[in-house]
Amino acid sequence: MRRGLDIVMGCVAGGCLLACLTISTGLVWSIARRGWGALSFSFFTEQIALVGASGGIFWNLVGTTVLLSTAFLACAPLAVSLALMERVWLRSESMKKALRLGLYTANGLPSIVFGLFGFLVFVQWCGWGKSWLAGGLVLAMSMLPTVTLVVLERMAAIPQRYIAAATGLGLSQSQVAWAVLLKQSWGGLISGSLLGLARAAGETAPIMFTATIFAGVTFPKGVVENPVLTLPYHIFILAQDSFAAGVETKMWGTALVLLGLVFSMSVAALPSRLYLHEESDV
Amino acid sequence: MFENIPCKNIVLETLNLEVQVRERTILQNISLQVASGEILGIIGPSGAGKSTLLRCFNRLSELTPGLRVRGEVRLMGSSIYAPELDVNVLRARVGMLFQEPVVFPVDIRENVLFGARRLRKLSKGEQDELVESKLREVALWEEVRDRLKQPAAKLSVGQQQRLCLARTLAVRPEVLLMDEPTSALDPRSTSAIEELLLEMKSRHSIVLVTHNLRQARQISDRVAVVCLRNGVGQIVEQGDSAAVFNAPSAPEFRDYLGQASGM
Repeated sequence: MRRGLDIVMGCVAGGCLLACLTISTGLVWSIARRGWGALSFSFFTEQIALVGASGGIFWNLVGTTVLLSTAFLACAPLAVSLALMERVWLRSESMKKALRLGLYTANGLPSIVFGLFGFLVFVQWCGWGKSWLAGGLVLAMSMLPTVTLVVLERMAAIPQRYIAAATGLGLSQSQVAWAVLLKQSWGGLISGSLLGLARAAGETAPIMFTATIFAGVTFPKGVVENPVLTLPYHIFILAQDSFAAGVETKMWGTALVLLGLVFSMSVAALPSRLYLHEESDV
Repeated sequence: MFENIPCKNIVLETLNLEVQVRERTILQNISLQVASGEILGIIGPSGAGKSTLLRCFNRLSELTPGLRVRGEVRLMGSSIYAPELDVNVLRARVGMLFQEPVVFPVDIRENVLFGARRLRKLSKGEQDELVESKLREVALWEEVRDRLKQPAAKLSVGQQQRLCLARTLAVRPEVLLMDEPTSALDPRSTSAIEELLLEMKSRHSIVLVTHNLRQARQISDRVAVVCLRNGVGQIVEQGDSAAVFNAPSAPEFRDYLGQASGM
């Protein structure tokens, strides 16, 4: 009876795994099949032409990189501070729980909510208009919960004996935080940031109000009214106007590049994630 | 039974110490003294609160949530709970060695310097000198001098424990607290640590929690026996090691000795 149940459970789990693999492979295959034809050296080095029907995605790649770099630079110190706050300085368990609950809730917020908030605060209230900085900060906000939770997970995996030993030597809280907690959770920051950036790279809703336009700009030269071109918004616009076959191929090509970007960031985060779980087993 | 040490220089003492975890009292009426240049052994059955007591001497107990300490602990005559006292300075003065060696995931040299170079400025030359002198003090220098840049985790458990002792000594403590420092070690490493303790006691007062009665009898100058009485950890007997072991008077201690010899 129990053996039979084991077999059924194994089959169900195997079936689910197969379904997941089929869906993801199908997704990648359908994008790759349609977009492969668009990929060429010039596709990566030329700028957009003929409303997307010709040219490449150079400035879109640059714009996406600008937004992601800004998001990372704004998010990383905040995530580390929040994680240290939870681990070192918050004494009350209820406060810690409240912080974690807040992070999990924020992690589930639709990205368009961050977009609207960014629109109200940065675009209108700060008067920046559509700006790469507004977009970067909005993306930083949207990825902050993910990054913080991964850093927290990494810090929680640091054995308590290290903290006791460092404290026992006479190190202050901030020295313990720096010498033990931060030293051993850099991997968490990197993997969390890569996961957050992988998600942020594909976000369209938060940046369409705040940071990006379809064409007509290159590298930003200031903050106010300095939008950028981005990959997801490029796909969004082309998808709405993909009547011509040339446009459609360019759209799928851009989608394939975006997929490659996201995939490579997730893969880059993998060693650090695996290391984390090995550490937890100690 | 709880005689004071009138003629010696008292380094550490507790007066009516009481420890509660949330609302439950786990230790009470703890009054003991540690004199300069002596090893005080704290012995007793598991669960009596010996390790918790040890952690009260450098306020490492504050890392345990819900733990409350009442009464007095004095280091060189000054309360360690005085508001003006810097708890980090206290912990540097009262060093601690744990049951299992805790080496940081850095190399051997960095492990020795881990506390010292964060507590005081050390030039490169001073660092080298400190590493060598402390590793020599714990009789580890000859074994590791050629691999100071190797990860400390590659050392044997016994070597790791001596490395931890070197790291603690590098911050120049006056008192050393040791929480069963040899329980994870083989007999050879155990005797190496015991020899070190006997050598070091002229420079540091040592409080040694141990389950090893032979060790307590042989290397402690005095012992305090912590046993459960009415469900609460208390010092049921203390005095010179030989006297306490040769003529145990507290029934809890006699039971403990009986159980230990029956093992």
